[in-house]
Amino acid sequence: MADLAPGPAEGQEPLPPPAESSPASPPTENRPSLGRRVLQYTTWIPALVPAAIVLAIIWQLLVASGFSLVPFRGPTDFGWEFFGSTWQPHASPARWGILVFVVGSFLTAVPALVFSMVIGLGIAMASTTYLPRFVSRFLDPFVDLLAGIPSVVYGIWAYLAIAPYFGTVLNPWIYSHFSIVPGFGGPPPLAIGIGLPISIFILTLMALPITTLLIRDALRSVPKDLWESGLALGATRWETLRRVAIPHSSRGILSAAFLGFGRAFSETIALALLLGVVTSYPANFYQETATLATVMLQNLDAAYGNTQWLAALSEMALVLLAVSLLVNVLGRRLVSTFVAYDVAGL
Amino acid sequence: MAGAVLGSSAVASSENIFYDHSARTRFRVGFDRWIGRLLPLLFAVALFPIIDLVYFITVRAAPVLSLGNLTNTQPYANLSGDAVGIAIVGTFYVMVIATGFAVLLGIFGGIATAEFLSERAAGWVRMSANMLAGTPSVVVGYFGYFAFVIYFGWGYSLIAGSLTLAFFMTPYTFRTADLAFSSIPRGIREAALGSGARAYQYIVKVATPIAFPQILTGIFLAMAIGVGETAPIVLTTHTSLLLPNSLTSGVWFLTYTIYTGYNQPPGSNGLAQAFQAAFLIMVVVIALNIVVRIVAARYQKRLEGLYQ
Repeated sequence: MADLAPGPAEGQEPLPPPAESSPASPPTENRPSLGRRVLQYTTWIPALVPAAIVLAIIWQLLVASGFSLVPFRGPTDFGWEFFGSTWQPHASPARWGILVFVVGSFLTAVPALVFSMVIGLGIAMASTTYLPRFVSRFLDPFVDLLAGIPSVVYGIWAYLAIAPYFGTVLNPWIYSHFSIVPGFGGPPPLAIGIGLPISIFILTLMALPITTLLIRDALRSVPKDLWESGLALGATRWETLRRVAIPHSSRGILSAAFLGFGRAFSETIALALLLGVVTSYPANFYQETATLATVMLQNLDAAYGNTQWLAALSEMALVLLAVSLLVNVLGRRLVSTFVAYDVAGL
Repeated sequence: MAGAVLGSSAVASSENIFYDHSARTRFRVGFDRWIGRLLPLLFAVALFPIIDLVYFITVRAAPVLSLGNLTNTQPYANLSGDAVGIAIVGTFYVMVIATGFAVLLGIFGGIATAEFLSERAAGWVRMSANMLAGTPSVVVGYFGYFAFVIYFGWGYSLIAGSLTLAFFMTPYTFRTADLAFSSIPRGIREAALGSGARAYQYIVKVATPIAFPQILTGIFLAMAIGVGETAPIVLTTHTSLLLPNSLTSGVWFLTYTIYTGYNQPPGSNGLAQAFQAAFLIMVVVIALNIVVRIVAARYQKRLEGLYQ
């Protein structure tokens, strides 16, 4: 933003760093007034806080992990076994392989992302192209409201209202019809209904408002000229969408995929309620498993006092943080709009 | 396309001669029409869950929800009964402290990026806020646990939970404040500064009144996000049967009640508390979202007026 005060001359650095305006130097014409400097510093420091918190989080997790990821040695050295699939905190010697949870995170987040992208694209196309303005104005807020519902409320609703349906109707139906497909046969689904399918369902719902909102925004920002030239050339609305609007807003759609994935990948509470407490690979599609986030939440109490366990959990936190930051930064670089974030609470 | 139109007009048709009657075009138009009818049905995927969720929580909470339960802060009624008074008061305390921090940091930070920092520095600050917003809640909770509960030795406490939640809420207040101050019309800024206002006078007397509604939406949004957070709270606080009387005393947060009560047997007090808590949080969050929407819509109109 432009500098506020008419003070400094042209070309001069608008904000002299604190070292330059030391109190010892004699006051000059261009020197900002005392009140202005006080104002600057009282606002600078809060502006640095988010960066400080992010750095502090990374530092704190590195300390808690005993820096064992960095040089691969030290008191809590896991070596390459850290990326193995055996997680046995109570065995002696204990085994700390997090691959199960990484796989669990992807197994839940990727299908949820695919579903929410497809549905979100459909809703966004309907809302921007096919529905009359007053109808979409009425319906859109409901989708946005999905983003506002706290995940623990989703969790209790899915656990008590939806999971029984999955356990008694949907999972047995899939089991009886598709058990030849690898991964869909094996041990029969549990009647309680918790496990992978309901987790994917709830993650789809939680990522849906984000993908819908960002795709909608991207489609709305297609210039009217492009739309009208497509239609004027004789293309139908669908063809204009396919050939003009969607290619034009591909960046926004890609960012929707990134940010939706970030939401699904880091979801904690709802999955802690719906995915169970098993720490092994699921035997088939209907079984319980664990993700990075759910294990971190469920294991912290038990890990109290156990340095190695805490270190393993901290490193899982670092892995989770790295993936989410990467996805978020990439997703946000693709779009410059602030508008969507206000409502979605991203 | 023109050829197709001419071709169809050669066929003697009783209809408009400029209309293309070829099978291909009939398919294209029909496909477009049917897609236009089918795609809106996808809204049901979003509408059904939200209606069912609100209905389910309301119906299950209604039998146990009473003013007596909500205001009862007796330890016995909260531990062995179905009262949630302690959790409500605890949530209020945590939210007051967390919102206070988040608002102060967010507004001052927003002023800095919008008014004082260079474009480059502001970009970095914005990116760091986005990164903080993108940090998983359980990771923020881990930070709160390691830093406040363990390192500072505050234990599972009110202040640990509040600060952790404040970190989680700050990016939202910051981003809306930044956007609000950045989107003030240039003419207004120039008019104020040109007529001799000092920087603080411009910010306090000119910019803040204009930006206020949007800052308010940011605060409400952050509160809606904070009050529903569970993972940071579960990792940094512990249920307490007494109302918090100091910053380091334990505190009971509403979402914690849901987390511990969701798998209790039907008819149990734990489940009753969980449903009351879920209902309260749901109502608060939906109300805040609606207020945000109304304020944002009005603000948009006002801002458009300013540009004229």
